[in-house]
Amino acid sequence: MAVIELKGVEKSFGSVKVIRGVDLKVEHGEFVVFVGPSGSGKSTLLRLVAGLEETSGGTILIDGRDVTNLGPAERELAMVFQSYALYPHKTIRGNMSFGLEVAGFPKDEIRQRVDEVARLLQLSDYLERKPRELSGGQRQRVAIGRAIVREPVAFMFDEPLSNLDAGLRVDMRIEITKLHQRLGATMIYVTHDQVEAMTLADRIVVLDKGIIQQTGSPLELYEHPANLFVAQFIGSPKMNVLPAAFKEGRISINGGVGIEAGKMTGTDVANVGIRPDDIEISPDGTGLIHGKVDVVERLGSDTFAYVAVPGAHAVTVRAPRDSAVAIGQDVGLTFRPERLQIFAVDGTSLRLRPGV
Amino acid sequence: MAIVSKTANSASFRNSRRWLTVALALYFIYTFIPIFYVIVSSTKSNADLFGTFGLWFSGDFHFWQNLQDLFTYQDGIFSRWLLNTILYSVVSGVGAALFATFAGYAFSKFEFVGKKLSFALVLGAVMIPQTALVIPIFLLLSKVGLVNTPWAVILPSLVFPPGVFLMKVYADDALSNELIEAGRVDGAGEVHIFFNIAFRLLTPGFATVLILAFVATWNNYFLPLVLLNSSDNFPVTVGLSQWYALATSGSGGAVLFSIVMAGSLVSIVPVIAAFLIMQRYWQGGLGAGGVKA
Ligand SMILES: Nc1ncnc2c1ncn2[C@@H]1O[C@H](COP(=O)(O)OP(=O)(O)O)[C@@H](O)[C@H]1O
Ligand SMILES: [Mg+2]
Repeated sequence: MAVIELKGVEKSFGSVKVIRGVDLKVEHGEFVVFVGPSGSGKSTLLRLVAGLEETSGGTILIDGRDVTNLGPAERELAMVFQSYALYPHKTIRGNMSFGLEVAGFPKDEIRQRVDEVARLLQLSDYLERKPRELSGGQRQRVAIGRAIVREPVAFMFDEPLSNLDAGLRVDMRIEITKLHQRLGATMIYVTHDQVEAMTLADRIVVLDKGIIQQTGSPLELYEHPANLFVAQFIGSPKMNVLPAAFKEGRISINGGVGIEAGKMTGTDVANVGIRPDDIEISPDGTGLIHGKVDVVERLGSDTFAYVAVPGAHAVTVRAPRDSAVAIGQDVGLTFRPERLQIFAVDGTSLRLRPGV
Repeated sequence: MAIVSKTANSASFRNSRRWLTVALALYFIYTFIPIFYVIVSSTKSNADLFGTFGLWFSGDFHFWQNLQDLFTYQDGIFSRWLLNTILYSVVSGVGAALFATFAGYAFSKFEFVGKKLSFALVLGAVMIPQTALVIPIFLLLSKVGLVNTPWAVILPSLVFPPGVFLMKVYADDALSNELIEAGRVDGAGEVHIFFNIAFRLLTPGFATVLILAFVATWNNYFLPLVLLNSSDNFPVTVGLSQWYALATSGSGGAVLFSIVMAGSLVSIVPVIAAFLIMQRYWQGGLGAGGVKA
């Protein structure tokens, strides 16, 4: 277990700034997920923590010890790579033993530890095989096992599930959650998949362009996004964004009627956001905004209606599965004003958060 | 855009296949004739060599006699030359392949000051034939007193720029960065990672460079010709050419032609053997399974 602390961490490749000053504290036993679009610097940040890249600025502390200039092994972390990175010429046992052999552990203890971890991960029957003789899911478990045997102070995962097919990915996700509960170790996990982030994380760190956009629990991010980027990145389907303006103490959405906004931190309103689950379809002529139903997707559990609203992007509505909504229908859309997210011209949220 | 390919049964496919076969057959004959000539000639007596059709065997099978003459002429110095060639080729082949692997790995996996420039120099060096450097090499080695020693052939042959280029490209492809990083996270030092992880995955590339460097030294003529002067140090190439010169000069050496032919044949055999032995190390896909699905 370990506390990992980043202070003003920066990284440039040549003249390109990839990480622009990151401050973050990961607590003992916490499961933190870095999420963000491709190229946002998630991997780079993780690799900086792991010691696989040198920082261009700032400090990294593990349990209070400054490790900024230490190599990966000296940080006593383990890493699970996207490509698994198993040693192809070694057996599964050889792969899992390697780190302990390098560290000079006695043979008996290595054998015992590997056997134990193999049992935990249901790999006991495969120990004498080579990686190429295993399925993708099994290889991923070996990569995790290789990390576990060394009893590291923290685990780093870089998109470990992205090479698996969808079904296996869900299974492995659950296994990783269980593993975290059992080991109680500090884990940092990188993914571009916000669903993975929401399901795994104690705390999510949303990155964009090398800057932390927001940190918080999955629900916090969902309900109180700090800015337009986070609002649109977290949640599926995406949050709807409509143009809005502040007029005489009320917010006018898409040029329509003004609604009571509640407490706000500013008045330079540019957009409002509303989640598809928070919108209801009402008969034509009622509701806060109106449009024409463009597409209807029936998924069984839900029905999604895409409503073309003049002057705005199509609005996604999550309707009950037995909704009678039909293509071409003129509809009104209603929602509770307190579910509205309000964004300023620069994208920051203007909604006063409870407790802030 | 679809590429509509011809099926195996279409007339135009069979037609183009026929022409391709003819073209390849001609090329095969063209490359094989000299080897065939050597094989045929080495079975002939000196008289038959000039008295019978060059591309077919004569009635008199003189091969064993030629072989015996080859290994006994001038107190059997040919065996000495053969051993020299083997020594020079094995040492410089293994050495050049090792250096190429070290350098290629470094160029592929490390960032260091002057990397671009030094790799450009390697590429430039590929274009320069060793022949052009033989005289400077001679001058350099004579300064340190290494002329007419085995080192005079071995040292220059350890420098094999195409091998460095090959190994760099091979390491780019066959060795993922994540694998090396996994080793680092596991606590292994760079040397340990190189020999225990990287080298195993670079073996097919190493084998390729080894065979290329081996053959290059095996066939090298000009370098040993210039740098060696005592017959005891000669490799087969220089030795045989001296016998050939003796034979053409006419002064009682005419008998040597069939020996030179047999010697040529004998000098080809180990190269073919080396190719066959090294073949099993070429099997790619050694890296399969460790990285990605
Ligand atoms: N070794 C490198 N050299 C140069 N640029 C790099 C290197 N590694 C990453 N980058 C750049 O840094 C940015 C962030 O990369 P990365 O951290 O891999 O993003 P993510 O993992 O979020 O997709 C990208 O624009 C990428 O091109
Ligand atoms: Mg990445």
